[in-house]
Amino acid sequence: MGTGPAWRAGAGRLLAGAALLTTVALLPWLSRIDPALTVLRARSGEQDPTPEALAAIRERLGLDDGPLALLGRWLGGLPRGDAGTSWVSGEPVLPQVTAALGVSLTLLTGALAVTLATAAAVCARTVFLGSRRRMRYGRAGGGAALVAALPKFMLASILVTVGGVWLRWFPSGGWEEPASMVLPSLALGLPSGAMIGGLLDQALPAAFHEPWARTWHVVGFPPGHVARHAVRRALPAVLPQLLPTLVGLVGGAVAVEKIFNIPGLGRVVLDAAVAQDLPVLQTGTLVLIMLGTAAGLLLGALRRSLLGPALRDGALPALHRPPLAVKRSLRYAAGFCAVALLLLVAAGLAKDPLHVDTAARLLPPSAEHPLGTDSLGRDLLARLGHGALRTTAVAAVVTVAGVAAGLLLGMLPRVSAGLTDVASTLPAVLAGMLVAGLAGPSVLGAALAVCLVGWTPYAAQVSALLEQERASEHIAASIGLGAGRLHLLRRHLLPALGPALLRNALLRLPTTVLVLASLGFLGLGEQPPTPEWGRLLSENQAYAELAPWTVLGPAAALALLAVLAVTGAALGREVRAGRGERALVRARRISSASAA
Amino acid sequence: MRPTVRGILIALALPPLLAGCFPASGSDTAAGGPKRLRVALAVPPAQALSPYSNDATVLSKLSVAEGLTALDRHGAVQPALARSWTRTGATTWTFDLRKASFHDGTEVTAEAVVNALGHASAAEPKPRVLSDVTLTAKAEDADTVTITTKNPDPMMPMRLASPALGILSAKAYGQDGTVSPVGTGTGAFEIKKLAGKTTASLDRFDGYWGGRAKAPGIDVSWIPDGVARANALRSGDVDIAEWIPTSQAKLLDEKTRHEVPSVRTDSLILNTGDGIFSDAGLRAAARAAVDGSALVGSVFGGYADAAQGLFGPAVPWAAAHRAAVAGRATAATTGQVQAQTKDKTVRLATYTNRSELPEAATVLQQQLEKAGFKVKQDVREYTQMEADLLAGRYDALVFSRVTLLDTGDAVAYLASDFASGGAYNIARLEDAAVDKAIAAAAEEGDMAKRQQKIMAAEAEILRTDAVVPLVHEKVVQGVADGVEGVLLDPRERSLIGTGTHIG
Repeated sequence: MGTGPAWRAGAGRLLAGAALLTTVALLPWLSRIDPALTVLRARSGEQDPTPEALAAIRERLGLDDGPLALLGRWLGGLPRGDAGTSWVSGEPVLPQVTAALGVSLTLLTGALAVTLATAAAVCARTVFLGSRRRMRYGRAGGGAALVAALPKFMLASILVTVGGVWLRWFPSGGWEEPASMVLPSLALGLPSGAMIGGLLDQALPAAFHEPWARTWHVVGFPPGHVARHAVRRALPAVLPQLLPTLVGLVGGAVAVEKIFNIPGLGRVVLDAAVAQDLPVLQTGTLVLIMLGTAAGLLLGALRRSLLGPALRDGALPALHRPPLAVKRSLRYAAGFCAVALLLLVAAGLAKDPLHVDTAARLLPPSAEHPLGTDSLGRDLLARLGHGALRTTAVAAVVTVAGVAAGLLLGMLPRVSAGLTDVASTLPAVLAGMLVAGLAGPSVLGAALAVCLVGWTPYAAQVSALLEQERASEHIAASIGLGAGRLHLLRRHLLPALGPALLRNALLRLPTTVLVLASLGFLGLGEQPPTPEWGRLLSENQAYAELAPWTVLGPAAALALLAVLAVTGAALGREVRAGRGERALVRARRISSASAA
Repeated sequence: MRPTVRGILIALALPPLLAGCFPASGSDTAAGGPKRLRVALAVPPAQALSPYSNDATVLSKLSVAEGLTALDRHGAVQPALARSWTRTGATTWTFDLRKASFHDGTEVTAEAVVNALGHASAAEPKPRVLSDVTLTAKAEDADTVTITTKNPDPMMPMRLASPALGILSAKAYGQDGTVSPVGTGTGAFEIKKLAGKTTASLDRFDGYWGGRAKAPGIDVSWIPDGVARANALRSGDVDIAEWIPTSQAKLLDEKTRHEVPSVRTDSLILNTGDGIFSDAGLRAAARAAVDGSALVGSVFGGYADAAQGLFGPAVPWAAAHRAAVAGRATAATTGQVQAQTKDKTVRLATYTNRSELPEAATVLQQQLEKAGFKVKQDVREYTQMEADLLAGRYDALVFSRVTLLDTGDAVAYLASDFASGGAYNIARLEDAAVDKAIAAAAEEGDMAKRQQKIMAAEAEILRTDAVVPLVHEKVVQGVADGVEGVLLDPRERSLIGTGTHIG
């Protein structure tokens, strides 16, 4: 890699960061919500918004100078280590943001440890069998999908109730001692680890299938040795996912920060965004941009060092998944999920999801209400059933749009590398505020906002896979045979990307549903009382302990959907593989017949 | 095996490294002695505990700062830093100060009081309590202060009880307009350290004029999330947790929940300015359709009282003076409602900041739909919709409002919310009879008569059906078993006093 692309990628990062910061600085002017009013409200809940009070604030903050002058002043202070003073509190911003960043990074370390451990546990079986060449069946990763589908805030609620309140093993919240880290790290790390592990687990069989692994086995290398190198072979393609999956949590784990009362960066940024406290918001965004860029560069370097010189020399064999049979139990699992979901929807559609009956509040499951009722006495089965189609449709559309955008940007890594890193750490709520400001509250707003930030995992994945794929020998051979760019893309690159990308998208589906619902407070998405799975989870969150069925039902539905998606995809793959094999057999037959 | 050894070494090195990432824990308690109180408060400091912001109530809740006067449980004025006072003219009051000292060791003198009140009147924007009055304070001698107002102000002693007018020592007031109560108050507890928006540490102030507090100190943590606050109390991490959400109250041990009627009233505000509810008959139909008592047992889990009017049981004099509402418009029947609102939809707004409100809105939607209205909800975070609310872009709003603001006087609330041109007049009410009734109450100096006139104004406002009171909220304060002397105040101005301690 010469200096040219590196320089260009650096400029791309700078440009993306600058554009983002400018947008943030313009936020109050774009949203047309008077910052004087939001600042007044943040300072004092009951103060009358009289014109005099608003004028006093406006003058004090110099709002009439316009956004660009304000941004210039803030930028001017940065080289001196002065990030301005908070509009709300009047205190210097930098100490506040650095303290929050310290907390968030410490939490991130804990979450990373849990993520790695979880990912290792998810892959353990494949590594064990693969390194001993005893892998006969392909795994769909339903278990991993199940854990990855767990809403982080629900996991956090369960952990704090059991570990903090009932057993009192850990503090129930706060950030006072290393023990405070344990529960939040678990809540953040378990689903992330299942996600990363689920991706790695699917990449590993291809590594074990490579000729060297067979040779080493025959030669009698210990399984551990083979396993280490297989992981090293499969890891580079998954590594970039750590950025949106884990580092993105620094700004995006507000729900978990709230439940554990952790003074992290996510809450600082959210509060500043709601109050339109620009100096804090800009500094927070800048820190997130720098964090994303640093993490992106670090992960990139790590990836390259794992791949070694083969990447540069174009001598990287492509990883291709061996055809593995699928266990019958997988078919049963997929069938069970499909039937359960269909039953759920069919039974739910027959009932009224909106009927409020305050006398039937928080009833446990019974014959009349098979999944119980919520805090307003509405039937949860009905709400789940009626919400199913809308929820899955919106999530699917958002995912498809995200994958398409990620594919497009991932194919242009020179343009998008910086943008991907920068956008990976951007909380969805910032995109939500932007959309709400520009287009006003709307049903489609939430989908649009999630699309704005949701493409990053796919772009990171596509660019990593493409880089590896392009460096592989068969591409060089195709080019040698005169293949054009379009042909390469259609016949070699895209087919190689497909399965991994699909799996990533399916694993992220439940998260998408939850993120969509988390923007409701901005007036984005369907307004209540419309049933929608993400909303069902968030509106019943407070009742999780008193009436567990109010959250277990929606969470189970989400998990069923996730498991169905990945097992379905695995079965589909087998069908396709089977068709391919049959075609191969047919071709051989024809060729032998013609030879005869 | 080398990697394993390295791993173990790293694992051993991690905990001390991590410990550096956490703040040093609070002051240690001497073994065997009385214990420090651990308190979880709900609203994190907005302006580093400046008395001119929301944070003012924290200063009075924790007995850090005091005004010249104070209000007792029933809302009557009591002496605080002023021993006594007299009204010496229509616009002048004379206050006689007691011997007291600030936490920094300086004496509370007339000069210090004049300085503090001067800073409060000069603050930009003005504190809420001074928004409708201009006062000048003057030191007569070392312990006498006269306060002069531009217009006669019968409420002056009540006004001075506001936490926003707490008297801090000269050191508290910075050049740039910031105010810091750290080590500058006069109350029973002194703030030693304020760590951002998360924790504060307070020690007992031994020189307090009202006697030494029983508890040696207070460790405050701010926990904005209601579930997290309840968890902190249940896990034993704190001794007192304020504002337990109604959804969590049932999880607390019965001995630890203490309910207090609050001066907060939740109501349905109807936009009289334009839209569907500019029609009095439709407003009356909505009023007749809406039943707030259905919310008490459900949404509020029993922690509320069905509305009796704008002022609930936490305002002790309200029930005795309540006037009957007369002259209301006749409610449109369901058929009439359907005919008149044919293709119009009621835009029903509420906000997510108080978790009960969206639930209440859903119940009200069903009630309104039964009466023939078509309803669509708009639920957002409060700051995301306040500008729209003030501009009248809604037909109805489920609103939660403190009816006795910092003056402790109800007129300020009525004037800002229901008088023509009021700053918070979301109902866009412009009614001559209402304006007249509010003005009459504002001018009245005699307390009993003032209360009567306030209730007469309430009846006038309710007559217009611009507001349909739903419930009077109750606050659930969580107090661990064994903690004694917690002050349960309907105005939420006091919480910990000299007598609060762990028994």
